[in-house]
Amino acid sequence: MNASIRGPRFRFEPYFAFAARAMAREATYRFDVFTNIGSILVRVYLLRMVWVALYAHNAAPRDLPLHAIITYSTVALLMGLVMDIDQTRALHERLHDGSIATDFLKPISVPLYYFADGTGEVLFHALLIVPSLALALLVVHVDVPSFGTLAAFGLSFFIGYLIGFCINFLLNCTAFWTLEISAVQMIVTWLTGLLGGELVPLVFFPEALQHVVAFLPFASMFSTPLLIYVGVIGPERYLGAIAVQLLWLAILGAIAIVVWRAGAQRIVVQGG
Amino acid sequence: MAIIEATDLRKVFRSVVRGPGLGGAVRALFARDHEEKVAVEGVSFGLDAGELVGYIGPNGAGKSTTIKMLTGILVPTSGTVRVAGIAPFDHRAANAQNIGVVFGQRSQLYWDLPLRESFELLRAIYDIPLDRFRQNLAHFCEILDLERFMGTPVRQLSLGERMRGDFAGAMLHDPKIVYLDEPTIGLDVIAKEAIRTFIAEVNRERGTTVILTTHDLADVERLCRRIVLIDEGRVIYDGPLERLRSEYGTHRTLVVTLAEASSSEVVIPGATVVHHEMSVVHLRFDRRTTAAEELIRRVTERHTISDLAIVEPDIESIVRRIYTDGYARPEALPS
Repeated sequence: MNASIRGPRFRFEPYFAFAARAMAREATYRFDVFTNIGSILVRVYLLRMVWVALYAHNAAPRDLPLHAIITYSTVALLMGLVMDIDQTRALHERLHDGSIATDFLKPISVPLYYFADGTGEVLFHALLIVPSLALALLVVHVDVPSFGTLAAFGLSFFIGYLIGFCINFLLNCTAFWTLEISAVQMIVTWLTGLLGGELVPLVFFPEALQHVVAFLPFASMFSTPLLIYVGVIGPERYLGAIAVQLLWLAILGAIAIVVWRAGAQRIVVQGG
Repeated sequence: MAIIEATDLRKVFRSVVRGPGLGGAVRALFARDHEEKVAVEGVSFGLDAGELVGYIGPNGAGKSTTIKMLTGILVPTSGTVRVAGIAPFDHRAANAQNIGVVFGQRSQLYWDLPLRESFELLRAIYDIPLDRFRQNLAHFCEILDLERFMGTPVRQLSLGERMRGDFAGAMLHDPKIVYLDEPTIGLDVIAKEAIRTFIAEVNRERGTTVILTTHDLADVERLCRRIVLIDEGRVIYDGPLERLRSEYGTHRTLVVTLAEASSSEVVIPGATVVHHEMSVVHLRFDRRTTAAEELIRRVTERHTISDLAIVEPDIESIVRRIYTDGYARPEALPS
């Protein structure tokens, strides 16, 4: 008898609506936006100074000349505009105050709801990349690669975003068990910034650490797209680099699904 | 035909017991003692389509746990539920399409959105046909008087406005069944009345099945013909409100104002003094064994009185008595 009961047919409409709403919500915090763009300008300038000073006293790595490293750190900062957002913190907040129960009362996929909502939020911040880039160009020169490289970078960036989503989602899922996640989250944010290559390209790391980093997902979030952008990863290596990213996405996505199911099960068994 | 069928529903919560202080916290990390708490202990009832039933019980009786199992957000430890032919927790999304839920203590609207956009979002979520959506919205706007604050973000609404918004939101997709969990809590008299009128109308005009849990028994007296009374996880009464009143409302109270204040004990055969302050004496008597006029005669024989009144038991006092004394069918009563 149960087998004959079908859930409502899957529709994209609610998820577009969630994303649109999240964008509109973000747009209401306009002041935040301006300070954010302003701070980008300062950070781009400071990073340029640091790299110029460092390069003046050290031999440049063969494939990262000064203009490439400045491009790298500027693009990394702009990527950070969307990558540094914890787009699933609503999950943890709604677990905390118990309102997650009302999400389960709606005929929707709850994790997809969080994905749509978070992505809407991120898309609004993505819009900020354009004015931020325009401002950054006032103080630094950024290399513009070929269209093919840009396309590969875009794809790699998108997969990196999805990996970041899975990591944030997993972190927020721990709230199913602990309700307190800020410490773990701080460590992971710090690890992503450092081991992902957001702050410093991984080639500058000691060799031993580079081997460790190769077995962690963080490089797939920042380092891979950035190295594609500046040309360190050439077209002949695109396929391999993106395959590694997809592998991480598959692994983290699978873990996220398992953890989500266990957490949701706990909610429906223990009532939160 | 029953639209809701709960059979022998049972819910046991398991929680970790932790000793006091830091030592207890550390110990709990390694050895976990579990404690089981039975929230619902074998609840069964059925609802026919179009019924409006009050689900009543004191705090911690298991009301909310039952509602959560019916709505599909909590899995029963044992027992079965069928809501419109569906097991809610096995088919959460399909069930969600059939039901509407209003929690008095928790809004289902979207805090950051104006009410109108919250409704638009619900239209997308429930896939409500546009003409039906417009029709419902216009109708609810009118009876709940929403127009004035349709453009206000939900977080800025007063509790009364928010509740009206929540009711409209829960009904937009024409649910077959609505669960109302303490929908009038914290509302002023006027807002309560508006909500009650709305519930009554939805039930009458649309044939929507309604389960109402509340602590405000005025809601129940105004709206429900049938009530299910639950205490300590068990159903202790299930039937017409009137029967509860006639079976359990066996005691009336004669309020007598004596001509002069007296502190000496008042003794009247056939009645118990339940309250005596200054010149006012409350005498409780069983209407089956003592006739009111007989009691009045006994009082006037012994005292000079300046005023008297007979107070009928209200449903509130009946239910309060059941909670404290437990429900037992009053003996010696032909049913």
